[in-house]
Amino acid sequence: MRRLLGIIVGTILASWAMSASADVVKVGLIASYTGAFATWGSQFQQAIEAYQALHGNTVKGPDGKPQEIRFIYRDTASQGPDKAKQLAEELILRDHVKFLAGLELSPYAMALADISKEAKVPVVIMNAATSSITRMSPYFVRVSQTVPQDVSPLGPWAVTHGIKRVYTIVSDYAPGYDAEQYFTKTFKAAGGEIVGSARTPQQETNFSAYMERVLQAKPDALYMFQPAGSPSVAFVKAYVERGLKAAGIKLLGGGETQELFLPNFTDDIIGTVTSMHYTETNKNPANLELKAQLKKMFGDKATPDIASVAAWDGTMLIQEAVAALGPDADGLKYIDFFRGKKFDSPRGPVEIDPVERDIIQNIYIRQVEKRDGKLVNVDIGEVDKVKDPWKLDNPPKSN
Amino acid sequence: MIRPRTGPALAAIGHALPWAIVIVYFYAAPDQLGFGTQVIIWILFAMSLDLALGYAGILTLGHAGFFGLGAYTAGLFAIHVSPDPLLGHLAAVAIAALFGAVTGAMILHTNGVTLLMLTLAIVSVLSEFANQARGLTGGDDGLQGIKLDPIFGMFEFNIFGKTAYLYAAVVLFGWFLLAWRLVRSPFGRSLDGIRQNPRRMRAIGTPVWWRLVAIYTISAAIAGSAGALSAQATRFVGLSVLSLLSSGIVTVALILGGTRRIYGAFLGATIYFVVQDYSAKISPFFWEFVVGGMLILTVLLLDGGLLDLGPAALRLRDRWHGAAKDGE
Amino acid sequence: MLSFALTVLLDGISYGMILFLISVGLTVTMGLMRIVNLAHGAFAMIGGYVAGYLTQNGGNFYLAAIAAAAAAGVLGGIAEASIYRPLYRKGELAQVLLTIGIAFVTTGAITAIFGAFPYPVVFPDYLTRPIDIGFRDYPAYRLFLIAVGAIIAAVLWLVMDGSIYGARLRAAVDNPRMARAVGIDVNRLFTLTFIIGCGLAGLGGAIGAGVLSLEPDYALKYIVLFLVVVIVGGEGSFAGSFVAAMALGIIDTLGKYFVAEAAPYLLYAAVFVLLLWRPKGLLPPKSAA
Repeated sequence: MRRLLGIIVGTILASWAMSASADVVKVGLIASYTGAFATWGSQFQQAIEAYQALHGNTVKGPDGKPQEIRFIYRDTASQGPDKAKQLAEELILRDHVKFLAGLELSPYAMALADISKEAKVPVVIMNAATSSITRMSPYFVRVSQTVPQDVSPLGPWAVTHGIKRVYTIVSDYAPGYDAEQYFTKTFKAAGGEIVGSARTPQQETNFSAYMERVLQAKPDALYMFQPAGSPSVAFVKAYVERGLKAAGIKLLGGGETQELFLPNFTDDIIGTVTSMHYTETNKNPANLELKAQLKKMFGDKATPDIASVAAWDGTMLIQEAVAALGPDADGLKYIDFFRGKKFDSPRGPVEIDPVERDIIQNIYIRQVEKRDGKLVNVDIGEVDKVKDPWKLDNPPKSN
Repeated sequence: MIRPRTGPALAAIGHALPWAIVIVYFYAAPDQLGFGTQVIIWILFAMSLDLALGYAGILTLGHAGFFGLGAYTAGLFAIHVSPDPLLGHLAAVAIAALFGAVTGAMILHTNGVTLLMLTLAIVSVLSEFANQARGLTGGDDGLQGIKLDPIFGMFEFNIFGKTAYLYAAVVLFGWFLLAWRLVRSPFGRSLDGIRQNPRRMRAIGTPVWWRLVAIYTISAAIAGSAGALSAQATRFVGLSVLSLLSSGIVTVALILGGTRRIYGAFLGATIYFVVQDYSAKISPFFWEFVVGGMLILTVLLLDGGLLDLGPAALRLRDRWHGAAKDGE
Repeated sequence: MLSFALTVLLDGISYGMILFLISVGLTVTMGLMRIVNLAHGAFAMIGGYVAGYLTQNGGNFYLAAIAAAAAAGVLGGIAEASIYRPLYRKGELAQVLLTIGIAFVTTGAITAIFGAFPYPVVFPDYLTRPIDIGFRDYPAYRLFLIAVGAIIAAVLWLVMDGSIYGARLRAAVDNPRMARAVGIDVNRLFTLTFIIGCGLAGLGGAIGAGVLSLEPDYALKYIVLFLVVVIVGGEGSFAGSFVAAMALGIIDTLGKYFVAEAAPYLLYAAVFVLLLWRPKGLLPPKSAA
């Protein structure tokens, strides 16, 4: 019992000590470091540290006083959104953060809507990709992507490249439904035909039965949407194992073939076409900076993915906001600073939608190829300044 | 079951200590009340499990089913029926108790690992149902938009969590009194017999099955109450409330503290969450090490869970003094 | 239609073979040593990661699989002597706690050493392609699993039925007291069997990595499946765990194919019904208490 009291008192004292210095602006980064979504936490953190190592972590406020932007990292352990909510509350009440960031899963971001309003804290969303999220709180700004945004250019591209019949298999959760809905919509609108569809349990790795059904339907291509990690690896494996590739059925997808995950695949993944807002091999100066810095700090194997670019851009925005408005501005003022911002991200030119506080960016069609003995994504098409189509389909009633 | 105490004064202190901590924490850590509320809720959850698992010997890994049912009932009640938190709480307890009675009646004639697996199957089906019924439960987005009226029209729920904390503490105290009386009653003592030797209990005429169903139902009701508190304190319900992981955590927390000593739940849940929280902050990757190591050491070194630390330390001290006397 | 039905059957059986391989050790541990070993999945995981490491660094797949089995077996032996032995006397709850602790520590160790990403085992090229089995093409990998599983099941059957070790083991499972009374060294039997069970689990984890993918949370994620096989089959029963593994594999696969959304329901509902019908398992050993 005494030990317990000691731990409680010690923690309180430590946090009092930490919040004493006034020249530090704290940002609470909430993401998963363990469990099924464990890659997000470390990818976010590496990119943030890379950015701050290169561009510094201290900015001068409008009064000339230096402000250090310090990130506090918390692990949601791939658990439910209630964990994210609890961590956010602690970060706000205990650590007095001025910003919240991170959030790889949509439910995490949604759970923070009420808190952000109650505590008036801006939330920089670095992945959560469900379209409606930015409408849930005026304190939300998203620097990553939405699923419909990433998905919608692929359908029309497929039709113009001879793919007329597609079977879709998506993972049974909200981003999966978004992907299925928008791929189907845009593909059909361009003249394509959906010959079958299926939804697989989340985190499923045993796709043999589903591949069977695809073989029977004989489509030109199979469209997949699986969470990155073991489900997508297992999916592509099953696609090859079951003879779909040999039968000439092409594979279409999204984030599954990001360069970070390509080492998990065999050469069978060559030829897979995906649409994404970031191609790792692009030659943008910001991207070259990011890659070089990651390699320098974390070794040759360090590879950026969509988490990295979102975290990189998010850090940049937060630091610029504090430089422009100081450390104690009102939450909504920071959000207003972000509205309409145009900048050069490692992914290309992007803009924060002034009305929706969501991101407008280019979407690239890429294909997996082997270059210099390594599997990479290579751009074969591009659609510029794509706004989230869901928002266009569902105009705000009142914002 | 009733262990000899070294004097009534010490007993009184032993009883007062946990509640004193609960009160002191409220004043000492006003910006961490969310964490404190979570610990109180899990103490209640662990205590409910103690009744079924510790006292009656019902091997179950499905207790999260009752917790989750209570949580979703309270949440859905607030959204669709009435934002009164107390009514919602009652509804949650009733539904959880009903489910406990029905499933208990179906499975409590079995025992051992068979019973364990049946409870596992039940909670898995519930969990899957919650996942599929997105329209009802929100699926993995969780149940959003729970708004609660202030308790008695006065104490409102907000981000600071003062109301939630005290509400949870009062509820815990209420159930604690009930549980305390229960295990010291003849009914409670018969459960001890049933756990140790059901055949003999049947032979002397005890209605074993009825007693088991009864304690299972009460245990389910209390777990449902904990779930309702969880939903109301965070104003959010996610799929994790029904997960096998939750069942596992509460089981671990209980055994860690020590079964069959109502306060074991207090100690175990507190230690588990404090250690996990603390070690996760030091390094997000390695809390599994710390927690796992703690579990292993507890089993290897202590026989009755962490609550045994006191008596074990005393035994160690006696042995030390004995060795010193022998001229070491 | 027939070819499709056969395909689904083969899919289910190959999945079941991996479950059997991993779970057979657990059924003996639980049936013979009466220990609830929730860390059993960790041995399968360790085997898988050993094979993954070796094959990723150029090692021969078959040698890696054997190394995986050996590593898991050795670790099992060490664990049995040091950590599990005190557990015999301590009761189920202590066993649950300790073995969960072991599973946690293993998970943390794997994350620390190998990282949180999925960890592949590199299979030989010919195992990643479909081959012609007459009426259609079918993944060679799955046929490999069925073959290995069948061979090992046959070997175990022979050992159990035809060897002295097998006879002693069956005696000890049926009636440990009597077995001791006639001079069988039950403790040595425990240790040897535990090592073999862990070794088989390690092998299953290694060659089964294409079905049960390797990640740090492997141990805790899949232990439920292994427990289902053991309990539904009947603790301590080899034949029972084989039948249960096949049933689980086939029901799961059928479910995914026909009623994809309801597949998880189907499985647990089946478990529920099966256990209420046969509480001691499908094929329990004689003395099931």
